[in-house]
Amino acid sequence: MRKRFDLLALPKHVLLWLYALVSLSPLFVMLLNSFRTTKEMAMEPLALPEEFRFTSYEKAWVTASFETYFINSMFVTITSVFLGTAVSLLAAYVFARSKRKIFGVLEGVFLSGLLLPVFLAILPIFYLFDTLGLISNLWGLILIYAALSIPFSSFILAAFFRQLPVDLEEAARIDGAGHFRTFFFILLPLVRPAIATVVVFRFVPIWNDFFYPLMLMRDRAVYTLPVGLTRFFGEYQTDWATLFAGLTIATIPLVILFLVASKQLVSGLTAGMSK
Amino acid sequence: MKKLNKNMWAWLTHDEHQQPKAITKGDKLRKRLSALGAIGVAALVLTGCAPSSPEPAETSTQAQSSATADPVDPVTLTIWSWRTEDVEKYNTIFDVYEAANPGVTVEFEAFLNTEYNQILATGLEGSDGPDLAMVRAYGGVQALIEAGQLLPVDGLVDTSAVEQSLLAAATGKADGKLYGVPFATQVLQVFYNKGIFDELGLTEPTTWDEFVAVNDALNASDYTPMALGAKDAWMLPIFHEIVGAARFGGPEFRAELLAGTKDFTDADYVASIGLVNDMTKYMVDDVIGIDYASSQVQFISGTAAQFPGGSFELGNFQTQAPDMDLGVYLVPPPPGAVSSKPLAAGWADGSFAINSQSENQEAALNLLNWLASPEFGQLFVNEIKQFSAIKGMDYSDPVMKEIGELFAAGPSQYINLVDMRYGTPTGSTLIGEGIQSMFLGEKSAADVAQYLQEGVSEWFTPGS
Amino acid sequence: MRVKTAGRALSVRMPILTGVVFVAPALILFAVFILYPLITALSYSFFSWKGTLRGEFIGLENYVTIFTKKPFDEDLPNAFAHNLLLFAGAMVFQNSIGLMLAVVLHKIGKLKRLFQTMFTMPYLISPLVVGYLWSLLLSPLFGPVNAILKQIGLEEFALPWLGDPTTAIWAIVFITAWQWIGFPMLLYGAALGGIPDEVTEAAEIDGAWGIKKFRTITLPLLLPALGTVSILTFIGAMEAFAIPYAVGGSDGTPAGATDVMALLFYRTAFESGDVGSIGTSSALATVLFLFIFGVAVALRFLLARGEKRLYG
Repeated sequence: MRKRFDLLALPKHVLLWLYALVSLSPLFVMLLNSFRTTKEMAMEPLALPEEFRFTSYEKAWVTASFETYFINSMFVTITSVFLGTAVSLLAAYVFARSKRKIFGVLEGVFLSGLLLPVFLAILPIFYLFDTLGLISNLWGLILIYAALSIPFSSFILAAFFRQLPVDLEEAARIDGAGHFRTFFFILLPLVRPAIATVVVFRFVPIWNDFFYPLMLMRDRAVYTLPVGLTRFFGEYQTDWATLFAGLTIATIPLVILFLVASKQLVSGLTAGMSK
Repeated sequence: MKKLNKNMWAWLTHDEHQQPKAITKGDKLRKRLSALGAIGVAALVLTGCAPSSPEPAETSTQAQSSATADPVDPVTLTIWSWRTEDVEKYNTIFDVYEAANPGVTVEFEAFLNTEYNQILATGLEGSDGPDLAMVRAYGGVQALIEAGQLLPVDGLVDTSAVEQSLLAAATGKADGKLYGVPFATQVLQVFYNKGIFDELGLTEPTTWDEFVAVNDALNASDYTPMALGAKDAWMLPIFHEIVGAARFGGPEFRAELLAGTKDFTDADYVASIGLVNDMTKYMVDDVIGIDYASSQVQFISGTAAQFPGGSFELGNFQTQAPDMDLGVYLVPPPPGAVSSKPLAAGWADGSFAINSQSENQEAALNLLNWLASPEFGQLFVNEIKQFSAIKGMDYSDPVMKEIGELFAAGPSQYINLVDMRYGTPTGSTLIGEGIQSMFLGEKSAADVAQYLQEGVSEWFTPGS
Repeated sequence: MRVKTAGRALSVRMPILTGVVFVAPALILFAVFILYPLITALSYSFFSWKGTLRGEFIGLENYVTIFTKKPFDEDLPNAFAHNLLLFAGAMVFQNSIGLMLAVVLHKIGKLKRLFQTMFTMPYLISPLVVGYLWSLLLSPLFGPVNAILKQIGLEEFALPWLGDPTTAIWAIVFITAWQWIGFPMLLYGAALGGIPDEVTEAAEIDGAWGIKKFRTITLPLLLPALGTVSILTFIGAMEAFAIPYAVGGSDGTPAGATDVMALLFYRTAFESGDVGSIGTSSALATVLFLFIFGVAVALRFLLARGEKRLYG
């Protein structure tokens, strides 16, 4: 019954595909160039590979020893996103539902964390880590990433909590449910789209961040993927074939992860839309 | 990528004003210290502190297995560096040291060049810092010295084998003390592709007219005469030195500049900046949009015939274009030049220094003495393939040999890095940005000189 | 049990203890790892420095330096203007295109997730990789972009995009938008999904279609999301670092045309040979922080008032 003929369907699709081209063609160029030689690229900026050779990939993979870094990155990113989101959810609920001034002030303080250039605090963070024995310790990274997630995550989550009608909570309270039960069983399922948003938007920058591990992790055993990459980039800046292979290798895990998770993530995000 | 090469900002040149501290008792002391070192290390290993202990370098000491019944107590020396690309080569070099010094293990750890300054400054402050570290030269090392993070080594290290003019690179500006041993030098010149020159019947220019003729001939051919990464501002003062050093007079100008009898607005210096602008006709259109890496690829791929650059390019060119027949020359003095001979600007490329908080200072001093020896110098030349700071090394690579001869015949200094890095804004930044503005038509050569002079006047007082 | 009470009364009823317990984990993490280092760092701006060695208290001297001395007296206004331009550019292009895509995608049917995934893809890529990639794509010599322009006869548009000061900053606006477009799109999309079908259906029955429906129904309901996106865009633009750094280096080449505040801070703190750089860079960060904070708080206040007026 809700299906109607849409006059605009064709132009809409044309527009969407055009933008898809803008969005993805640089990535295709990256992929194609990883099969070309530096000389081919210098002679002809835009062309198909003369032949598909994987020598660049072999070279990039062997040199960069991505394996350990990959495992470290996975551990740090997943743990810190989970921790950051969990503590932000709890706080955001209070910010949205309590009218006490103290929590309003606190929300403002959290938000201010969003406003500061991150590099500024590196020196005090270093001394703090040094005192706590967190230098070259992956848990140090996890704690700092979780803390860095709080401003953004609690901001987004509080906004979503505020949009939720209070009727459901009201009903739950009438049934005798406490704040904890109301939160876990009534509200959490409702803010799933917001949780998905927060997870996606925190996962990616944490996964890609190279600044904190570079500054705080001083042992090769605890390097993360981006640190490995920054070294690799420096070394192959004029060996474009290998460089592009490295860029592609660096990008693929996240793309795969995103494609696998996108069903949950995007359907979570659009839960309200497709009903 | 461009920023990963920023160590160029920190490279420094000779300073003939600062005379080396002659060291005579070095050898005797060294022997005494090594004995002391063994005792100190033994005591350290026994105390066995927790990793979070505030005492520095504790963990690295213990990393070495202490169970061996070796007569010499084992010690591990950690060295930090920004040369991520040279880790394997340095390991090979330190294998030689370890073999000659039983019980000593050298761990060479490299960090990303662009973030190295901050990593080192915090590392020297923290509890797991290195025993020794590569430090930037000249202005780049002053912050560490002022903070007391480096050990003064006057009288503790025998630097007699080191090129004396380079020692200033590791000297404190405020106290005049020596804080390290320089390890490398760089020289600026024009690289060219001999294959292209032969194909067009061109030869190395020895006069300014020949230089112009060569470039005109290249311009008329399918090749780009010069590859320059003008989008990366740090490349431009290098290019200015290559083209203009003879015009403004290199060492003589520098002496007058430091004495205060001349400044950057001097007519000869302005004319040298003007030469840089004249060269743009020998580059691709929109050279301001070409980044450093692209300019390297232009030369490596054989689309550009010449690459004005530093000796640090050599290794990369030889790896990336193994078949290219590489030549080098200096730009001949142009009409009106102050210097009658072509000049090659050189500078020291950082030093090895000792963490003032290191618990292994005796062992570290032994190592530093070795780093100041001809043995290390030759290993450095053979493995790293750069110019050593040690005198009288044997260069087997013909291009390196030729660069060495060019420098010996017309030595000069890279003023904007050597002397103009002790405050903010730095000379190299100012002239780099100024030349970019000149390429864009926003500034004249005189404006650039004025901009440079005004900027450094913020902190630079001649005669000090 | 007070059945009659509405939402507002309910919130008041949350016991303070419950609130404290819920907030405590976030507060502790935040206080230890953000607030404490941050305040410490801000305090650095009031001291003189010798490398990492803190000297005496010098009051506002570092602030005087960054406003009156070279290179700051020129670099600071220049960089600041570029931050504002990045914000304006992002609002005009990135957010409006994001909104348009979200609206077009809303109820598009089966392909929606595919499109969303494709549009969000650039966001996944490390800013460093994005910088490398676009530097090369836009290179006048080896770049496919100019190669295409030349092939289709638009030779005069084959500019040295990143080398010309007039185009370089816009190239950064474009690259930023290219990478971040998924962000406003998904946020707007989620907000659109939050609009109850009954509202739109009622509007359609009343004859509200197309632009009219969008203006009268959709846009007002999107206002909270619009506010969120604007504030985050503002903060993102003021703190822009990764892409300008990856494209123009820490100097903001050419000739400072792509310089931004974070780069100025980075140069001062990390690359300068100046022994007092911790003091001056902390002063820079403090000024930037105060500005962003002031504007963001004002924006939030205005938005809260707007929302109140809309929803009562």
